[in-house]
Amino acid sequence: MTAPAQPQQHPSEDDPRIMLDGQVGQYEQVPPYPPRTEREAEFYTLGDGEMFLNMGPQHPSTHGVLRVVLKISGEKVVDLDPVLGYLHRGVEKLCENSDYHHIISQIDPLEYVSSLFMEWAPVMAFEKLLDVQVPRRAEYIRVLTGEMLRIASHALFQGWMALDLGGLTPILYSFIERDEIVEALAALTGQRMLFNYFRIGGVNGDLNHEFMSRVGDWMSRALVQHEANIGLLNENEIFVRRMRGIGKVDRDMALRMGVTGPNIRAAGVPFDVRRAHPYSVYPELEFNVPVRGTKDGGDSLDRYLLRLDEVRESIRIIDQCLHEMPDGPVMARMPRLMRPRPGRAWAAVESPRGLFGTYVISDGTDQPFRFRVHDPSFVHLQLVGMLMKDNLIADTMAVMASLDPVMGGIDK
Amino acid sequence: MTAATRSLRQVATVGRIVIPLLVIFLIVAPVATVLVAQAIGPWLISVLNSNIGILRFVVAITAILLFSIPAAFIIIYMELKVIAYMNLRVGPNRVLPAGAAHSVVAGLKVLTKEDFTPNSADRLVFTWAPVLVFLTAVMTFMVVPFGPGLVGAPLNIGLLYLFAVGGMTVVGLLLAGWSSFNKYSLLGGLRSAAQVVSYEIPLTLSVVGLILLAGSMSIDSIARQQSGWVWDWFVFRQPLGALIFFIAGVAEANRTPFDLTEADSEIVAGFATEYSGMRFGFLFFAEYVNVFIMSALIVTLFFGAWNAPVDVNWLLHLVGVGPLSIAFDPGQLGGNLVALAAVVPLVVTLVLAAPFYLLRPEKPVWQSLLIGFLLLNLLLVGVLGLSAYVDWDWVAGLIWFMVKAFAFVFVFVWMRGTFPRVRIDQLMGFAWKWLLPASLLNLFATALAIILLKSAGIN
Amino acid sequence: MDRTLKTRLEAKLADRLTGPVRQRQDQTEIRVRPADLIEVLRTLHDDPQLEFTILADVCGVDTGDTLQTVYHLWSDETPDWLRIVVDGLPREDPRVPSITSLWPGAEWSEREAYDMFGIVFEGNRDLRRIYMPPDYTSYPLRKDFHLPDDSARGPGGGVRHIEQPYAPVAGTEHSIRRTVKA
Repeated sequence: MTAPAQPQQHPSEDDPRIMLDGQVGQYEQVPPYPPRTEREAEFYTLGDGEMFLNMGPQHPSTHGVLRVVLKISGEKVVDLDPVLGYLHRGVEKLCENSDYHHIISQIDPLEYVSSLFMEWAPVMAFEKLLDVQVPRRAEYIRVLTGEMLRIASHALFQGWMALDLGGLTPILYSFIERDEIVEALAALTGQRMLFNYFRIGGVNGDLNHEFMSRVGDWMSRALVQHEANIGLLNENEIFVRRMRGIGKVDRDMALRMGVTGPNIRAAGVPFDVRRAHPYSVYPELEFNVPVRGTKDGGDSLDRYLLRLDEVRESIRIIDQCLHEMPDGPVMARMPRLMRPRPGRAWAAVESPRGLFGTYVISDGTDQPFRFRVHDPSFVHLQLVGMLMKDNLIADTMAVMASLDPVMGGIDK
Repeated sequence: MTAATRSLRQVATVGRIVIPLLVIFLIVAPVATVLVAQAIGPWLISVLNSNIGILRFVVAITAILLFSIPAAFIIIYMELKVIAYMNLRVGPNRVLPAGAAHSVVAGLKVLTKEDFTPNSADRLVFTWAPVLVFLTAVMTFMVVPFGPGLVGAPLNIGLLYLFAVGGMTVVGLLLAGWSSFNKYSLLGGLRSAAQVVSYEIPLTLSVVGLILLAGSMSIDSIARQQSGWVWDWFVFRQPLGALIFFIAGVAEANRTPFDLTEADSEIVAGFATEYSGMRFGFLFFAEYVNVFIMSALIVTLFFGAWNAPVDVNWLLHLVGVGPLSIAFDPGQLGGNLVALAAVVPLVVTLVLAAPFYLLRPEKPVWQSLLIGFLLLNLLLVGVLGLSAYVDWDWVAGLIWFMVKAFAFVFVFVWMRGTFPRVRIDQLMGFAWKWLLPASLLNLFATALAIILLKSAGIN
Repeated sequence: MDRTLKTRLEAKLADRLTGPVRQRQDQTEIRVRPADLIEVLRTLHDDPQLEFTILADVCGVDTGDTLQTVYHLWSDETPDWLRIVVDGLPREDPRVPSITSLWPGAEWSEREAYDMFGIVFEGNRDLRRIYMPPDYTSYPLRKDFHLPDDSARGPGGGVRHIEQPYAPVAGTEHSIRRTVKA
């Protein structure tokens, strides 16, 4: 009895045999399968004096597990092709098979740097499906915690940026700020990173004493600390020169590429979902939408500085929230088992990285029929390919870090 | 006797054979040594006497090899600890107090790790490249004067030798990068080649002005010309040269902000990406030895080498004392020396212990005695050190040299904790557009000043 | 809910809409045919009364019977989100014109929809799988997908319990399939 004939297949990248009897000849064909599109064929054809450099997935500065295939000519990047999927967990599929309540904890680790926003958008979408009115106190708490996390995220960005440019120290100073915020949120939610705090129709638990004392403590010196962090980096000539003039995104390009968040505001477009399509209690709050960038667009430095401006606005918002926090319940009256009427809902929030949206289709059961997550980092990472042409390898890091992608969100 | 035999019965079989052998050896070995020394001693001494140059060289290179490893350990520990404090961390704190032996343990770890060679690497080159890097780093030590007379090889073209051998490092890095069969390594190797070759030029040119001033390429003579006060150091006569030398030296040692060759956020670890085990250890040590050499060179050439910042003899002369020396020959005491050696420590211990006992009589006596004994030791070390400092100028020179060199090592570490990395085009542009013209300007100005001063009759 | 947007849309796109303009809360929804998609989007983007400049999202949907692609747009002229649904793509050969000529940034989102649903976006220059490995053959977010099918063919097939090489007994293709009127 003979074994059934195996169907002829091109060698898989995952085939362990490639690694076992490794011969140089096996690496010659890049990629190890026939190209599927014209673009791929064009990319994987080497010109004169060019070579491929495979960056990642285990590379120190790809913000997670991103693999970038660089086509380089000497130190110059000719073209690049990001390869995603190393962190793909199928969050959308998971959520389609989860209860509406479960989704909040399923989607939390999606983008682990700013996970409250990952909860906010689906919760808003479900509230639209269920026609729930969220108590005003709950909305204020959402805004308060969200803006705090925005500051934490931007603080981390600042340190990350320096780390990618070779500075070891600033990230640890940024972590002071992030730690204080995260510890305060931990006092409120019980978690430092994946808070699982927002609920459909409100939030899980009212503000407690420890949270308030921590927030008051931090707010009393937040601006000073922010200024100190700025002083650590912004006047460093090497740091500024590494970022000035590279990765220019102009207004038209930003709009056409679907860029949102700080990246589009750094290109001169004042698009902020908090103002452009107000949600929660943002219409009642006073804050500016900082915009940077000149006529011909904003570079990496603009994007970096814009995030620092945003931190200041967020501190303003937190201040207003703390002063105008109304009394009342923090949860609407909700049934245990939620079966929204069949329908569709789209909700978007302004996460620290940009427009984070959720599209939910309900079929009348307790699970969403379709759960779509739109993550801004996913869109922004496309820009790297356009911005990097004819720049140096070292700039890849500066540009990528200034776009502030988080691989957890990109790979879903 | 019974106790000894009983304990011998308790040891294992191997021990019963080894321990008597050891006893016999301990008795026989000294006798045999004396006999052999009697027999071939005079001949050996005459041979060594006639080959004193070779002997000196062998001793010097052994001493330097032995010195370079602990020096690297100290710098690694400094880097860990200093950057940790700059980062608001604690840093190593497990091995010995304050983690002082952390880098030693890390070195042992490196030694015991698997020595991995990639399949497609060029094995011969891959194996020998780290050795080349390490040896060139150590070889440059040969002409560095650690103190008056404390120099491995007192060459009269010491500076030339230094730049020649120092430039060889890049060959090792290039070989390491090329042989690894890894694109990151290749990029790192090529970057280091471009960088080191570019910065070699301003590095060398910045010293030419100093050579003109000193009129010699012998490092020892340059060091001697800076004796006296602080303002006799060459940094005040060649400030621009010193600055250029420092910047180019940082680039030569591949340190932040010029550490493009091992830019971890871009090309992982550069030429060292594929290395593991002790081969990586060699590259790692070489980096820190290079840091020490660069600081040593800056100190030697511009910051007064082993000279103290104050002219002690001049000060003493001002007070009315001649050159200080301890004119004490222990031999003249004869048999009293033995009695002195027996009595003085006891007495001093008791004297030092007395106040502690009187202050805290409720504490046990042995504690005060222990404190007294420790204080005695401190005192002895202090007295001996001071007398050595005063009596032997190489001790004074070594101390000053080490203090200054490690001050500059600290600056290197400090820079690593503070600066981001420059880009390759900025790096090259800086070398060719700024440093090179500046060093030429420095050379021109120095030469012009010398000519003008000579023609004016001022020496 | 922006009533004026409804009238504006009906005026501009009257014959291209396949159904009524639906509005609920802050969302306005229109449905178009695949062939009209590019023209509709161009009108929405260029018309001075509409000016939908920002493309918020592109995604695919499997209704259980047919496939859809859904676009969300934002404009300064209206407080509503605009949703454009391209309806009725056949399961066997779903084809939609690519909007990368209008919004190049939609490239990866379309790749994702292709990866997850097998919807072919004609005109996308780089339509290949984005998350799943290149030798993957099925479409994970479709409602008739079940996990053991495809993963069992990989090198780790049969190793973990979830990757048994047979289809589940309890959940056959018909029992797990859900449909919705979306």
